[in-house]
Amino acid sequence: MKHTESDTGSEREFSFGAAQSEVEVTTADRLREFYREFIYKPGLVAWEDRRTRIGAIIMGIYVFIGTIGAWLYREPSTNQSPRSLRPFETLEAPLGTTGSGQDVLAMVIHATPEMLIMILSGGIFATGLAVLIGTVAGYKGGTTDRVLTTFSDVMMSIPGLPLIMVLAVVVSPERAAVIGILITINYWAGLARSIRSQVLAIREHSYVEASRTMNVSTPRILLKDIIPNMMPYVLVNFANAARYVVFASVGLYYLGILPTSVANWGIQLDNAYSQAGALSGGGTMYQLVVPMIAIMFLALGLILLAQGMDRVFNPRVRTRLAGESGSETDDEDTAAPTEVMT
Amino acid sequence: MAIDQTTDRRVYSADDPIIEIRNAAVTYDEGRSYVLDHVSLELERGEILGVVGESGSGKSMLASSLLDAVPSPGHLTGEITYRPDGKAPINILELEKADRRSLRWEDISMVFQGAMNSFNPTLDLRTHFEETLRAHDADIKKGLGRAEELLEDLYLEPDRILDSYPHELSGGMQQRALIALSLVLDPDVLVMDEPTAALDLLMQRSILLLLSDLQEKYNLTMVFITHDLPLVAALADRMAIMYAFRLVEIGDTRDIVENAAHPYTRALLNSTPNLDAPLSEMQPIDGQSPAPINMPTGCAYHPRCPLATEECRTEVPDYHEVETDHGSACYHWQASYDEVPLLHENSPGDTTGGVDE
Amino acid sequence: MNNYYIKRTGRAVLTLWVTVTLTFGLIRAIPGGPLEMLRARLVRQGVDPSRIDAIIQSRQQESQPIYVEYYEYMSSLLSGNLGESFYFREPVSDIIIDALPWTVFVMVTATIILFAIAVVWGALIAYKEGSTFDTASSGLSILLSSVPFYVLGILFVVVFSYKFGVFPARYRTSPGISPELSFLFIQDALYHAALPIASVVITQVGLQTLAMRGNSIQVLGEDFVRVARLRGLSDRRIATRYVGRNAILPMYTGFLTLIGFNLGGSVILEEIFTYTGIGYYMFEALINRDYPLMMGIFLVITTALVLSVYIADLTYGLIDPRVKSGDSNEAY
Repeated sequence: MKHTESDTGSEREFSFGAAQSEVEVTTADRLREFYREFIYKPGLVAWEDRRTRIGAIIMGIYVFIGTIGAWLYREPSTNQSPRSLRPFETLEAPLGTTGSGQDVLAMVIHATPEMLIMILSGGIFATGLAVLIGTVAGYKGGTTDRVLTTFSDVMMSIPGLPLIMVLAVVVSPERAAVIGILITINYWAGLARSIRSQVLAIREHSYVEASRTMNVSTPRILLKDIIPNMMPYVLVNFANAARYVVFASVGLYYLGILPTSVANWGIQLDNAYSQAGALSGGGTMYQLVVPMIAIMFLALGLILLAQGMDRVFNPRVRTRLAGESGSETDDEDTAAPTEVMT
Repeated sequence: MAIDQTTDRRVYSADDPIIEIRNAAVTYDEGRSYVLDHVSLELERGEILGVVGESGSGKSMLASSLLDAVPSPGHLTGEITYRPDGKAPINILELEKADRRSLRWEDISMVFQGAMNSFNPTLDLRTHFEETLRAHDADIKKGLGRAEELLEDLYLEPDRILDSYPHELSGGMQQRALIALSLVLDPDVLVMDEPTAALDLLMQRSILLLLSDLQEKYNLTMVFITHDLPLVAALADRMAIMYAFRLVEIGDTRDIVENAAHPYTRALLNSTPNLDAPLSEMQPIDGQSPAPINMPTGCAYHPRCPLATEECRTEVPDYHEVETDHGSACYHWQASYDEVPLLHENSPGDTTGGVDE
Repeated sequence: MNNYYIKRTGRAVLTLWVTVTLTFGLIRAIPGGPLEMLRARLVRQGVDPSRIDAIIQSRQQESQPIYVEYYEYMSSLLSGNLGESFYFREPVSDIIIDALPWTVFVMVTATIILFAIAVVWGALIAYKEGSTFDTASSGLSILLSSVPFYVLGILFVVVFSYKFGVFPARYRTSPGISPELSFLFIQDALYHAALPIASVVITQVGLQTLAMRGNSIQVLGEDFVRVARLRGLSDRRIATRYVGRNAILPMYTGFLTLIGFNLGGSVILEEIFTYTGIGYYMFEALINRDYPLMMGIFLVITTALVLSVYIADLTYGLIDPRVKSGDSNEAY
C-alpha cells in the first residue's frame, strides 16, 4: 500500500496536461514552464526507472565517443600501424589493426558521429512526420483524415528494407542526414496511425472540447493540448526509430549498397567477414566483434530507453503489482490494442 | 478494535446467521495498514444486507472476503464462518483449495461491478455457463435448463442470450446475464459489488426489482454493496455503513434512513440527491476520507466530524446501542441528532419508489 | 460488415498499384532512364557499339508518350512479364519462381517458431511477474533484441561453419540433391536452413516475448480472469482460453505482417548465408544494378507483405468474435 501511494503520487505530480490558463506570460516564463513540464519532470520520473537510467548512460557514452572521442582519437588510415595486429598487443592500436593496417578502434570511433547524425535525422524525420500526419488526420477528421490514413496505410504496407535498398541504389545518398531520412522513409506510417487513434481519444477529453468551443484555432489546439499529451509516446517511438536506423544503415553498408564515403560499422563488418571466409577461421574474429559490440551496445541503449519510458509513461504497461487494489480505482480503461513494432 | 463483548453481540448478531464474520482484516503491507480494518458482522439467513460506503472505504474488500477472494497480494485474517442449512459450519478461511473452489459459486456467489469486464470477450455466453457447470461437475443439461429459467426470470430471451458474445449485449443485459451466471449453481448467498454502478437509472431500478423477486423465488441471502445509499435503502432489510475500512453504523434499513445515529451516516444522507428535496439543499461532506497509510488515530471520522472531542481523537469508539439491533460507533451519537440535522424527511425507497411492495 | 472487407480489399489493391507506379517511376528516375538501361544491356550482350547507337537512336525517335509507356508497363506486369534480368540473362519471373519458395520456407518457419516461443515464454513470465525469472527473462529478451539478425548470422557462419564446420556456410541444399519429396532432401534442406532460421528466431523472439508478457499481464489483471477463478475454472483452462487467447489476439496481425517484413530482411540474411532465395537475387541485382530483377523482386516482396496484411485483416474476424459483427472497422 505504501508503495502504491507513492506511485500514484508521482503519477499525479507528473502530468502532461497543458492546462496553463494564465494568458499573460513572458516568453522566458513560458520557456521555463515548458522546461519544467516537459523536460525536467518527465526526466525525473524517467530517471527513476532502472532501464531508462542505464539506457541514458549508454547514449551518453556514445555521444561522448562521437564528439570528444572522435576529436581526440586519430583518424583511421591505411598502414597507420603494422598490419593485422591482434587486440591488446600494442597501445598504439589497442583493439588491433586490419589487414591493411588500419586501427580498428579508430574505425569504430570515427564511424560514431555519422551514426549519431543518422539516428537523429531519421528519428526526427520519422516521429516529426508521424506526429504531423497523425495529429492532423485525427483532429481534422473527414476527408483529410481519410486521405492521410489511406496514405499511411499504403506506406505501411510497403516493406521498408527493400524499398530503402532500391531507393539507395537509385539515389546514392552520401550525407549521413540524408541516409537517416531515407531509412525512415516509410517508418513513420505505423506510428502516424497509432498517433491518429490516440488523438481521436484525446480529442474526446473535455479540455480539448473546451478549447474548441472557445474558438481557438486548430493549429493552436494541436500544439498546446494534443501534442504535449503524446510526447512520452513519441519519445518511445523516437528511440525505436533510432534503433531501426542503426540496424538498417549497418545492414545497407554491410551489403555495400550505400556509398563508402561515410565511415560505418557495416563496412568494417563486410571487410572482416569476407576475410574471415578467405582465412577460414577465427583469426580475424576481433575485427568482427569490435564493430558488432558497437552496434549491439548502441541498440541496447536505445531499447532500454524505449522500454523504460514505455513502462514509466504508459499506465497500460505498468504492472499489476504496482497497480491499484481493485476498489479504489474507477477508471474506465479502454485499452487500445497493442501494436507490435519491430 | 477493542469491542465490548456485550454490545458486540447485541449489535452484530442475527437469530439464524448464515455467515458470521469476526475481525475480518485485510492488509497489503504485513499489518502496517489495513484496507479492511477488523470488521465483524453477521448475515441473517434470507436477508438482504446493504453495505454502503464511499469508494475506497473497503467495502469491496469486505465483499471479496466473504469468498476468501481478496486480490493478491492482500492478506486476509480473522474468522469467517459459513453455516449451511442443516449442516456443520464451515470456516471459510481454513478451507483446502478444492473445498474452497466448490464453496465459491456453489454456496456463495458473487457479482462484480462492471459486468462488461466479467465475461471473456472471446467466448459466447453458453460457453460461460457450460464451463462453470463443468468445473463444478454439475449436470450440464440440467444446469443449462436452470440457466434458461434464470434468464427468463431476468426478462431475457435465453436462446438469444446464450448464443451471443458479451459485446453483442447491452450493459443492462450483460449485468442480468451475469446475475444469472452467478446463480446457475444454486448458491445460498449472493454477494454483489456495485452491480448497478455502470447502468442508467431506469435500468438500476428494474434490476433492483428483479433482484428482490429472485431473492424470494430462490430463497437467497444477499449482500448488496454500493456507494448509493438511497438506492440500496429501497431493497435492503438491514444496512451497514462503512467509513475508512471500518463499520461505523449498522441497523435495520428504516432505523438507518430515518434515525441515523452516526454523524457520518447523517452527513451521507444529507449529501445524497433526493427527488423530493431541491438540489440546493444537498450538502457535500467537507474533506476527504483517509487513505489506509495515514489513518487518523481514534475515530477515523474525527477530522471531518463537527462533534469530535479529545476522546474521539485518541480512542476508537465502541458500538453504542441506539436501539435493539441498531448500533453506532460514535461516542456522541445522541448529540448527532441535533448537531447534524437531517435536511429532509427520509423514508426507505424514496428515490427508487415502487420497489418495496 | 461488407464495408470492412471492401475497404481492406481496396487498400490492398491501392497499395499494389502505388508500388507498381513507384517502380515505374524509379526506373525512369535512374540516371539515363530506360534507354541507358537498354544500352547497358546491349553492351553486355556484346553488340557492336555503332549498332547500339543506331538502336538507341531509333528508339529515341519512336519514344512514346509517358502514359503509353505506363500502360504497356502495367499490362505486361499483369500478364506476369517482369522483364529479363541483365545479369543472369533469364526472365525475372523464372528466377523468382525458382527462388521464392525457399525464402518463404525459411521466413515462415522462423516466424512461426519465434512466435510459438514468444507466446509460451511471455505468458510464463507474466504469470511469474516480479520474480527473478521475470527479471532475468525480460533482461535476456532485451539483450537479444539489441542484436541485429545479420550480426548473429555472421557470427554463426564464422563459428559454426568456418571454425567448427558443423553447419554449411552456403546454398539451399548440398550439391547433387534435387528437390523432391524424400527424407534426404527434407533433411538436407533443413540442415541448410537451420542457421538462417536460428538467427532470425533468436534475434526477434525477445521483443515478441516482451509484447506477449505485457499483454498477458494486462489480461491477468482483467476482471473476467478473476471471475473465472472464482467460478472454479481450472488453471489450465484459464491459462489457455482466458489469458492466452486474449493476449495473443493483439499479436495476430503483427505475426502475419512480420512474415512479410522478414521477407524484406531476407536480402541481408541470404547474402550472409549465400542462400539462393529471392533475397540473395535481390542482393545480386542491387550490386550489379540489374534493374528489372531488382524491381521484380521488390514487387514480389511488397505483394507478399500486402497479402499477409490482407489475410490478417480478413481472418481476424474468425479469431476475434468482436470484429465479426462489424461494429469495429479498425482491426488494429
